[in-house]
Amino acid sequence: MKTFAKWTAAAAVALGTASAVYAEGHGASMNVPNLSYRTGPFAATGIPIMNGQADYFAMLNARDGGIGGAMIDYEECETGYSTEKGVECYEATKADAIVTQPWSTGITLQVLPKTNVDEMPLLAPGYGFSPMADGEVFQWAFNMPGSYWDAASMILQEISGGDLSSLSGQKIVLLHLDHPYGKEPIPFYEAMAAEHGFEFLPIPVGLSEMQNQSAQWLQIRRERPDYVIMWGWGAMNAGALTEAIKTRYPMDQFIGVWWSGHNGDLEALGEDAAGYRAISYNAPNPDAPVLAAIREHVSDSQAGEGEMDWVFYQRGLVISMLLAEGITAAQAEYDTAVVSPQQLRWGLENINLTQERIDELGFTGMIAPFSTSCADHTGHSGGWMIRWDGSTFQVDSDHLMADQSAIAPLVEAAAAEYAEANAPWPTQECDG
Amino acid sequence: MELLYKIFIAPFQDMAAAPDFLMQVLWEGLVSGVLYALIALGFVLIFRSSRIFNFAQGIMVVFAALTLVGFHAMGIPAYVSVALTLVVMFGLAVGIERVVLRPLVGQPDIILFMATIGITLFLIGSGELIFGGENKRMITEELGIPTGAFEFNPFDGLLLLEQKDVTAVIGAVALVIGLLLFLNKTRMGRAIRALGDDSQAALSVGISQRTVWVMVWFIAGVIALVTGIVWGARAGVSFALEVIAYKALPVLMLGGLESITGAIVGGLMIGMMEKLFEIYWGQPLLGGGTESWFAFVLALLVLLFRPQGLFGEKIIERV
Repeated sequence: MKTFAKWTAAAAVALGTASAVYAEGHGASMNVPNLSYRTGPFAATGIPIMNGQADYFAMLNARDGGIGGAMIDYEECETGYSTEKGVECYEATKADAIVTQPWSTGITLQVLPKTNVDEMPLLAPGYGFSPMADGEVFQWAFNMPGSYWDAASMILQEISGGDLSSLSGQKIVLLHLDHPYGKEPIPFYEAMAAEHGFEFLPIPVGLSEMQNQSAQWLQIRRERPDYVIMWGWGAMNAGALTEAIKTRYPMDQFIGVWWSGHNGDLEALGEDAAGYRAISYNAPNPDAPVLAAIREHVSDSQAGEGEMDWVFYQRGLVISMLLAEGITAAQAEYDTAVVSPQQLRWGLENINLTQERIDELGFTGMIAPFSTSCADHTGHSGGWMIRWDGSTFQVDSDHLMADQSAIAPLVEAAAAEYAEANAPWPTQECDG
Repeated sequence: MELLYKIFIAPFQDMAAAPDFLMQVLWEGLVSGVLYALIALGFVLIFRSSRIFNFAQGIMVVFAALTLVGFHAMGIPAYVSVALTLVVMFGLAVGIERVVLRPLVGQPDIILFMATIGITLFLIGSGELIFGGENKRMITEELGIPTGAFEFNPFDGLLLLEQKDVTAVIGAVALVIGLLLFLNKTRMGRAIRALGDDSQAALSVGISQRTVWVMVWFIAGVIALVTGIVWGARAGVSFALEVIAYKALPVLMLGGLESITGAIVGGLMIGMMEKLFEIYWGQPLLGGGTESWFAFVLALLVLLFRPQGLFGEKIIERV
């Protein structure tokens, strides 16, 4: 009996010591899951973004000990870009999470109502449902720094030279993935076509046709559009560019959204694709100080050779930086290292990314200043047109801004329609 | 009335007004059909010899193409890479027969089908582990496949034939001829057919089921490699290639699961008809996107009248 008591006491002491050491070593942490896709038909475009996201938090943990004294526990749940798996991942990760990053417009639309109930911030940088910009209706959703309607507007601004009436009589094709993501800009383009007198023709590309788009490009050859705008993702991008080259469609009249401007897709086509452009809310900057910090502090990066210079890898960094800024704002507001989902929502609603702050974070030249508010969950940073020169993407325009006078009424109407269709839908009142 | 005009008159007026464009549509349909037929052939071959519906055929295309590109990326010359890939596909066939199929001999068809789903998941996981998920460039030029285009001007119009598409058609025809010669003129080919026709009778005359299964899975691997090269040359090599296997399903429904002729004719029919329908009816009347379902509707219509497919064997169950 004595021996048993001794062993029990020893075990208790050992357990207590181990717990203390564990707590000291691990400290406070915050769980930021990412519903990623490194497998399946869309993996090629997902991997560099996820690598960038992971590396930024790894760098903050290694260099600064996390954010404001709390380590960042970044974990991925693999969805394969499947909406069903994405919803499962959301449910599996939400218990300890302070945010959800759904990484697909289809998944975003599915979990959007759930985040209201779970009081979980939904961060969808540059994707998701464009009316999420309306913070009064979508309290928990954030699509900073730009929505799809921002992207669609900036593309029109660029091809019209800033005067959309000059597009009157022209024909514009939207080549889009036949998926909620690909259909997202259609309402905006239809409204703009009606207002400015250009012909708008959406051409869908099914999942099983992504690599064989000959029918779509035969239609483009027949229709002879003045511009083809691409809302593609994954293998669709390379498939479309290959067909465009084959059809001899002028590359300078072919423009993609920010998810269709991936170095990996273009490298396989090289000089043949030179002149192709894409709108992007982040500009590639291989000399940005944040890249040097990552090279110095992240020893186990999964990024391949040259990948850190890619637009998509750097976009992953930008996305994690935006989340980190939300956390920082919440920590300052609530005077705590570990923020709750509710506190992070406040932080994401109060991001103030000035040029000074961008420089301080090491993102000089990679993103334009913007701020969010209770009413504006997008921030509308604007972006740049980037052009493929045969070997890499180069910034090819001045900084562009979306025409909010055209977008805002559509956002307001679509948000109200969504809230009514999903009644009772909780809303919030914002001052001003 | 206007709708009837759009369905029955306007498409044919469009065809007559731009015959060069019609020729381009037919050519693109032919190329697509050849590619569909190639995928369907892999399914048919395995089904004929073992009554297994090989769910893994799509991922085998990806695995073969990634292996080829992977070997070449290691600095190995293109044709040596092809040879090494064939060795890998043979090893895969031996492994599948030994580890998956042999223990399941005599089990119901559904068990064997489920086993091929397991093979699919294994190949996806191991493929992503070894090669990563990034899009890779097919070594088209290194393999000597021309990449230019033949340009013709019929009816004062324009007809472009991509040289790699022409090569794909010629290569597919050669592969089918070789396959038919192998199945009809060699002992092993006849053994494969015998095992598919009546496995008990074939076993009783000394045909080795193990050898035949290894051989058909290897041939399916060869077809997968050819398919991977052809499709990869069009839009790169990535796991998205797996999706194209879906296009083989209506081809199999149309042509019949056990008919090589059916796979070829079914593939060509679907390739050309879905392209014609999409361009002249689908896009003007339905806004496009009909290729996703047209082939299935066509196959279902055929099944209404011939449940065994156009070239399938009529199954008579005696009770």
